[in-house]
Amino acid sequence: MSSSLWIEIKSALPASKAEFALDFSEKIDSSLVSLLLQARELLYEGADAAAECLQTSQIILDYSWEKLNTGTWRDVDKEWRRVYSHGCLFKAACLCQAGASQDSVAEAIKTCDLGLLMGAAIMDNVLGRLINVLQKHVPGRKRALHDEDLDESRKKPRTESVVTPGIKPEAAVSRIHCPSLEHFRTNYLIPQKPVIVQGIIEHWPALKERQWSIGYIRQAAGCRTVPVELGSRYTDEEWSQTLLTVNDFIDKYILCQDGERCMGYLAQHQLFDQIPELKRDICIPDYCCLGEGDEEDITINAWFGPGGTVSPLHQDPQNNFLAQVVGSKYIRLYSPDETEKLYPHQSQLLHNTSQVEVENPDLQRFPDFAKAQFQECVLHPGEVLFIPVKYWHYVRSLDISFSVSFWWS
Amino acid sequence: MSWFGFGFNGFGQIIPRARASVGVKVLFPERLECCDCDVGQTRVTRTEKEERLPGEHCCTEIRATWSRRAVVHRQTGDVCISGFVTSPSNQNACTHVPATKGCQDALIGERYLTASFTDKIECWDIGGLGSQPVWRMELTKTDTAALPLAPGGYAFPKTPFYRALAPQICARKLALGTEHAVLLSADGTVYTWGSGSHGQLGHGSVESQPEPLAVEGLRGLPMGDVAAGGWHSVCISAGGDLYVWGWNEAGQLGLPSRCLRAQAEHGSAGEAGCAVVPTRQEAAVTQEGEGSEVFISIQAFPALLDLPEESEMKKMSCGTRHTAAVTCAGDLYTWGWGDYGQLGHGTPRSSDQPLHVEYFTKEGLCVLDVVCGSWNTFVLASERAASFE
Repeated sequence: MSSSLWIEIKSALPASKAEFALDFSEKIDSSLVSLLLQARELLYEGADAAAECLQTSQIILDYSWEKLNTGTWRDVDKEWRRVYSHGCLFKAACLCQAGASQDSVAEAIKTCDLGLLMGAAIMDNVLGRLINVLQKHVPGRKRALHDEDLDESRKKPRTESVVTPGIKPEAAVSRIHCPSLEHFRTNYLIPQKPVIVQGIIEHWPALKERQWSIGYIRQAAGCRTVPVELGSRYTDEEWSQTLLTVNDFIDKYILCQDGERCMGYLAQHQLFDQIPELKRDICIPDYCCLGEGDEEDITINAWFGPGGTVSPLHQDPQNNFLAQVVGSKYIRLYSPDETEKLYPHQSQLLHNTSQVEVENPDLQRFPDFAKAQFQECVLHPGEVLFIPVKYWHYVRSLDISFSVSFWWS
Repeated sequence: MSWFGFGFNGFGQIIPRARASVGVKVLFPERLECCDCDVGQTRVTRTEKEERLPGEHCCTEIRATWSRRAVVHRQTGDVCISGFVTSPSNQNACTHVPATKGCQDALIGERYLTASFTDKIECWDIGGLGSQPVWRMELTKTDTAALPLAPGGYAFPKTPFYRALAPQICARKLALGTEHAVLLSADGTVYTWGSGSHGQLGHGSVESQPEPLAVEGLRGLPMGDVAAGGWHSVCISAGGDLYVWGWNEAGQLGLPSRCLRAQAEHGSAGEAGCAVVPTRQEAAVTQEGEGSEVFISIQAFPALLDLPEESEMKKMSCGTRHTAAVTCAGDLYTWGWGDYGQLGHGTPRSSDQPLHVEYFTKEGLCVLDVVCGSWNTFVLASERAASFE
């Protein structure tokens, strides 16, 4: 079993050292480059060198990790992210070499995921290819889609009652069924008016032949490592980020099997770049072609979490189609014209976020908030909410929810 | 009196890897060797001993960067480098750098070597040590300040190689972290500037500062020494108290670290547990509470760190993610990231509490000084019976 794994892994790698290019700009310290060269040597030496190769890979990872944490994320040199990916590649390959156990398969997948999350694409997405190979060797992968997970979700011990707010008719976001491109453009895109569009995602495999459920997500992505936000909301002091496998995230924060009190949210993550199998289940809404940007520039994010996750009132610099696949969300919208009544944070980091807790506002500190005009809705599965550029929005999930957002210009 | 080293040895910078069974991690302190000279050994004549200034115990200094260790021979005034040297055929313990002959002090980085002489400061690209320095500065009078301080400013291991400092600040010592600087002035005030993303400036936020700004939290407490790590800062007061601030993801502040506890539970590598992934909020967390224990991932204001036995601190140094401190009584404490054995307790484990390094006590040694490389620690120690006091 383990030898067949190594044979498949080898076929995903360059056939020989000579074909394995290691070219880096002179920004990369020559001391580190010598380790990359050494790792390549060791990798092609055979299973006896695997332990040493693993150690060398770890040094490469530890050093480049420090570089990745230097400066702001945006400023991190892409070369260092490439180095990090190479470290992940060497490490994952070594783990598969000598007597790969269950644990090493899981660790190798996690290592590749870290490379996908924090590194930069290398060797024609070799890390993605390695994951494809490795996933076939995960024990228990082939379990059928059971409804047991859905039953489990019904008996989860969350005692907080999820309050479904009543929507005032005069504040309700209007709904429209399958408008033509021209109609949408003229009546909503140009005037920058929010609207809920129905009937445009019912053909998604995620809602049809490969209906998304806890069981389906586990099967497609259970062993994959993803970033998770912990804490009630990102403006809180207790808020933090961590990395978990999807299985652990589901167990701990969706099904609450550990009795965890803390909120966990797989939020604003480009999951579909990381896990192409899930990308096949969704489609980019046609209306995005009305924008100026290319399709490659559209950012697709996944939002997967239990009932009660909150995104504080904030604005984004692009148009947004928020597609609801599983579960429902309460959403409130404020026009950019109302910005002054929403008391945005002063700091540079949070200036796109309001200080006000929408469903529990401190009107003594923020008196004008009561005067701000808004629209609201409960977004149901199969519906897509159009949020115009810089439109303030507040989102609370009402039950286990999976949404997909499309940011486009 | 000898220098010892422990921690990352991937380039043989502690013990040459040509030796059998010498690995990448040196978990227990090992005596250093340096070419033909006896590192740390000195033939002491009576007069030399009497003339020696307090604090100046040894004729060699150690300087370290990630892949190298440099020995600065004070008496002869020259520098030897061990570790990653550009000529891989060199199997010796270390390589002399002729250009540094006659120097008083030196600093080594991944790319550049800086040396100060009585009449000049020069900086070379380590890849081309035989050729011209990339930067040089004439000294019109003897400057007593230690590198990287230079007249009117400081030398920097990246262009521009010289940066000016406002003349009002009377700089006594300067410590450079990965992306910040900590300066101690003559009157004991601490100034910080640079990136503040992990609270390493100590001004109470994660904002960066382009120019030196006094750390208000230490006002009224004159400091005696400062050190800077990758993303944290440490200083010792005139009275021997230790103050820390900055990032604590590996316990490098000696405060409870959630990341560390999680890592201990799951046994996963540190880079996985606390990785930085770009998400919608780049602001870092200042405090996380869980039950009754408060974890600190970023400490944005100086915090007093209590060490066991109410020790009076004498000297400290920081690696990228660990800290080492020497007490006046001659004990060594280390804490923070330990994956490469840089804490010296014999295991590749990290610690978010200051731990006493037992080796020196067991060997009857009194610790006198400590200098950290990125992932390793160098310690000067002497026999207790032969101590000069």
